Amino acid sequence: MVFRALITECRQLWRLRGLLAVLARRELGARTAGSAGGWLWVWLPPLLTIAAYYLLFDVVFGMRLGAGAPTARVGTYLVVGMLAWQAFADATQRGMGSLLDAGSLLHKNPLPPGLFPARAVLASGVVFAPLLLALLPLYMGAHQWRAGVWAVLPLLVLQALLSFLLAYLLAILAAALRDVAQGVQVLLSLGVFLSPVLFPLTLFPERWRWLLWLNPMTAPVLGYQSALLQGAWPPLAVWLALLAWIGVLAALLSLALARSRDQLVDWL
Amino acid sequence: MNAPATHPAALPLRLAGVGKEYRVYDSPRARLKALLTGRALHRSHWALQDVSLELARGQCLGVVGHNGAGKSTLLKLICGTLQPTTGQIERSGRVTAILELGAGFHPDFTGRQNLYFGGSLIGITHEQMAVLEPEVLAFAEIGEAIDRPVKTYSSGMTVRLAFALVTALEPDLLIIDEALAVGDQHFQKKCIERIQSFRDHGCTILFCSHSPYHVRHLCDVALWLDHGRMMEFGSTEAVLGAYEKHSRLLGGERAETAAAPLPYERGPDSALILSCDIADLGDGDPPTLHSPDLVATITVRGKGAERPNIGFMIEQERGVGITSLATHEEDAAPTEVEPGVWRSTLTFPDLPLHSGDYVISVFLFDETGLVTYDLWFQFKVIRIVSPTLMPGLVRLPHHWS
Repeated sequence: MVFRALITECRQLWRLRGLLAVLARRELGARTAGSAGGWLWVWLPPLLTIAAYYLLFDVVFGMRLGAGAPTARVGTYLVVGMLAWQAFADATQRGMGSLLDAGSLLHKNPLPPGLFPARAVLASGVVFAPLLLALLPLYMGAHQWRAGVWAVLPLLVLQALLSFLLAYLLAILAAALRDVAQGVQVLLSLGVFLSPVLFPLTLFPERWRWLLWLNPMTAPVLGYQSALLQGAWPPLAVWLALLAWIGVLAALLSLALARSRDQLVDWL
Repeated sequence: MNAPATHPAALPLRLAGVGKEYRVYDSPRARLKALLTGRALHRSHWALQDVSLELARGQCLGVVGHNGAGKSTLLKLICGTLQPTTGQIERSGRVTAILELGAGFHPDFTGRQNLYFGGSLIGITHEQMAVLEPEVLAFAEIGEAIDRPVKTYSSGMTVRLAFALVTALEPDLLIIDEALAVGDQHFQKKCIERIQSFRDHGCTILFCSHSPYHVRHLCDVALWLDHGRMMEFGSTEAVLGAYEKHSRLLGGERAETAAAPLPYERGPDSALILSCDIADLGDGDPPTLHSPDLVATITVRGKGAERPNIGFMIEQERGVGITSLATHEEDAAPTEVEPGVWRSTLTFPDLPLHSGDYVISVFLFDETGLVTYDLWFQFKVIRIVSPTLMPGLVRLPHHWS
């Protein structure tokens, strides 16, 4: 069965969910250890991004998007996609390096390696999920609490799952070859331009638009924009694309787990 | 192969045909390619092959072997940090491993935060740790420093906290990798006493060491590994005898005798060897013994009021042991010559050695003989000139008839 290795890993993670919570808390604690500002430093960068987009594009310049965009205000539009993208990039990068960082722990303790990418994704989720949810009341003018707005919740869960699968797969590849991490960082820098984060889908030339679907975050970003900016339930294509990405990544991860099972800790 | 006196119903550890293959790739790129394509692009290195053994409750197994023999791989497989390529490992009960102590501590977190986190890694919940904490802190002797970041700790404090943490709950199977010498002399003694008490309560122990001395004193069964294969498994003395014989046959490779050279504590209150005077030594390099008797007077400083024990070893020039003697083995306690200073005089009447150069080592042990407080390893070479012209090493007691 294709997913056998992944199912085994997920069962172990569920059994050790208490430890996973401890690890995630510790990761967040480690980021702020020794600083007087504490958690403020965790939330400050994304909060500043939101504030800068809003003030610059909506208040100072008053820039507007053309027809076909889910909202006319540029800052309001950018905040939604950029928060989701930052959450994805943060979880992917931290998760990708998590196995290498946890090498000494894995050599000394019989723990499932999946705990560490899961820890990174959970810690990113703790930082970014409240910010995305905080947009619900802030964007009330746009969505007026129409039913579609609640699509944000399943989108958050699916994005976390997508990030975990991708981060774990990349973490295994990075354990095999360290260059993977550098390559992925380049892709993450470029990826934001190949997505509807900065520009509405309609602004991309129609014959190149399919390229955007090669970005795993295109579907979630469209979903958030639909829910938060229009109060509309995201179209079926968004859910299908998201589920397709999750399915493909799960199959690839399961294959990588099966192939690296006996050796992964040796590579760290 | 079975250890003596095992009972299948109570086996805390059973290994059946266990093997571990390390896949060696020419480059990390080849490793990634193998991962992506599923093709076999590696060379195999079998660190362990076909290891089968069973240990009963309360048994202590000493694992010996040269570097690269597979000892650490075996321990990691039994811990569960590595997965066996072949065979099966069955463990029952709580398994605790004393590997690199304190390796998982975060320097910016306090001792207490690290204690709770470290506990969660080895299956001790927050609630359990809250109950265990006073005892752990008392054992670690950390005091108020427990609320300071670990980066402010001395290496001894870190190791003490880590040892107290991993041994907070009594295990069913304890795995020790060369970790008997942790912290200062006082703490080493506490560690060994704790391990002994686990053993007295029926804990099974796996002890991996380069020190045949400690294996002899702690273990009732031993396993000798060589190039990943089981060479011998059985009673300690028989296995160590075979291992030491093999080591000697290797010629250039020195038998790893007695305690490995460890950083022995030399503080103002440390127990240490003060002097070792050999009577009737002449001049020359090495000095010649001008007496038929070898008389060595060894003076040591003990630890508090404890009566220490003294060991003495004579080896051939190339480090092949001839005899090792210790006061605790022969009920020959040293005499206290002034408070805290002890002395033993060892006499070999009519020393039966043939002509040659011989190497002397002196040991200082605690009261039980398990903790090595100090070691003057191969500190002196003496020349012995024997009247006999016959070849050989030693004149054994004999008679003709």
